[in-house]
Amino acid sequence: MANFWNLVQNENMKIYRRIRAWIMLGFVALAPIAISIIYIIASGEFDANNWEMMTLETTILYQLITIFTVVKAADSVAGEFSTGTIKLLLIRPWSRSMILLSKFVALLLFAVVQMVLLFVVTWGINALLFGVNSDASGIIPSGSPLAGHSVWGYVGLMYLYLFIAQLMIIAVAFMLSSAFRSGGLAIGLSIFVLFSGSIITGLLSLTDKAWVKYVLFANIDVTSYLNGSTPLPNQDMTLGFSLAVLAGYFIVLNLISWLVFVKRDVAA
Amino acid sequence: MSQAPAAILQDVTKKIGGRTIIDRVSLEISPGEVFGFLGPNGSGKTTTIRMMVGLMALTAGDITIGGHSVKTSYAASAAQVGAIVENPEMYKYLTGYQNLVHYARMNPSVTKERIDEVVKLVGLDGRIHDKVKKYSLGMRQRLGVAQAVMHRPKLLILDEPTNGLDPAGIRELRDYLRRLSREEGTAVFVSSHLLSEMELMCDRVAILQKGKLIDIRSIRGPANKTGEEQIAVFDVDHPENALGVLEGRGDGKLEDGSLVITATREQIADANRILVEAGFKVYGIRTRTKSLEDQFLEVTGGETIG
Repeated sequence: MANFWNLVQNENMKIYRRIRAWIMLGFVALAPIAISIIYIIASGEFDANNWEMMTLETTILYQLITIFTVVKAADSVAGEFSTGTIKLLLIRPWSRSMILLSKFVALLLFAVVQMVLLFVVTWGINALLFGVNSDASGIIPSGSPLAGHSVWGYVGLMYLYLFIAQLMIIAVAFMLSSAFRSGGLAIGLSIFVLFSGSIITGLLSLTDKAWVKYVLFANIDVTSYLNGSTPLPNQDMTLGFSLAVLAGYFIVLNLISWLVFVKRDVAA
Repeated sequence: MSQAPAAILQDVTKKIGGRTIIDRVSLEISPGEVFGFLGPNGSGKTTTIRMMVGLMALTAGDITIGGHSVKTSYAASAAQVGAIVENPEMYKYLTGYQNLVHYARMNPSVTKERIDEVVKLVGLDGRIHDKVKKYSLGMRQRLGVAQAVMHRPKLLILDEPTNGLDPAGIRELRDYLRRLSREEGTAVFVSSHLLSEMELMCDRVAILQKGKLIDIRSIRGPANKTGEEQIAVFDVDHPENALGVLEGRGDGKLEDGSLVITATREQIADANRILVEAGFKVYGIRTRTKSLEDQFLEVTGGETIG
């Protein structure tokens, strides 16, 4: 087995050598600063809780990060087909499975880079403008299993749970990208999953049927467990249950991507 | 030839939705040989090439490259192949050099020095750090050749390589392929529908029609030493009279004021002697071998669309 990292490096090159990747990262870095400054201008004071601002900005910008990652995920496979570069990529002495895996790893890294950047910027700018608030109990809901614990633990878990949701949406985008080879379709449907998730969860919560809790949308946002609630109030759900359901979907989605990518003739 | 074939296609068959696209194609390509793959558009050339490089699965049969089957040991076979499939589509937002680095990373044998060497070889040294989107089609074709030969493949597959090249570029490519096959022993497999091109480039040519291999023939064979008939054009004074003198010796006719006979090598020499002895002035004799185009039309029955 030759060096798998070389493949990931290639995929990284295809992500970061395009100006759009840097525009995306620029947005992630500048938007929190803009939100904090607008808050100060609007309220005219510097008394906000830095943790509160951080979690607020994270919740907003997480959506943006997911969209950016979905755009890259959709382009990753479908883009190679539409430009025809897939032909010169697949005639190398590497199995298609490894090439697909390298693409997935590069996308995860892109998501991680953005999450880390968001974490650093939202903490940094708010600590700078508002100071580090020692009483963080205000941002941890009283029902949370972490109530009374360190705010770092709360924020850290929040990032982890958001990352899990992002992982699922990447898997959806990646599957659509390799199944339909259409970047636009993959982007559109994945963003639909991202935004309709909460609406569909709302609809599902109206019924008491037991199967409802196995639906992807009902489990994708595990941050509700962090606040001491469950995604569907009428259902008997735990964090462990949701993670198991998500793991199942994750495996199935990636299995489809892999099967389609490995088996299909490249005729384009 | 005692060397093992660079590639063997054995009963290669491809069916798509019940339609047979490629029907039991078998051929062998020897090291150091430029092998032409000729056929009208839609005859299945590109499909065959896609199966050779692993882009498409075979329905039946097998392809081995350097002794490794594309079905059972794909990575080992692909390591010995360099190819351009249809147009050389590169990452346009990367520079030519970054594109080569990209492919070099996937092949452990390629060093940085080798990349520089290949860039010089295809004559892109001046523009290699420009983005590919600024390249002309000819430059992209050169970059395509660079990525295909970078890892010194045993088998080089080029699908319609002269597309988009100007006459000087075609000539350069032809000379380069000859050198590659002679000096490095690379087997070169070239597909084209341009007959005249293949005639100048190849040692042997396989003709494909409607997915079936209908003929394989040598182009640079020692044809004119055998008893095979050639066409000889005599430039003589009074060709009409000369035709009468040669009556009964080969198949003669008049064409554009010249005397044209179809005869063997010996008969042509005889005819010349007779004409000179009869007092005709022979200004010149040209022999014309049947062009590949004639041969192609002969075997495909004049049909151009498969």
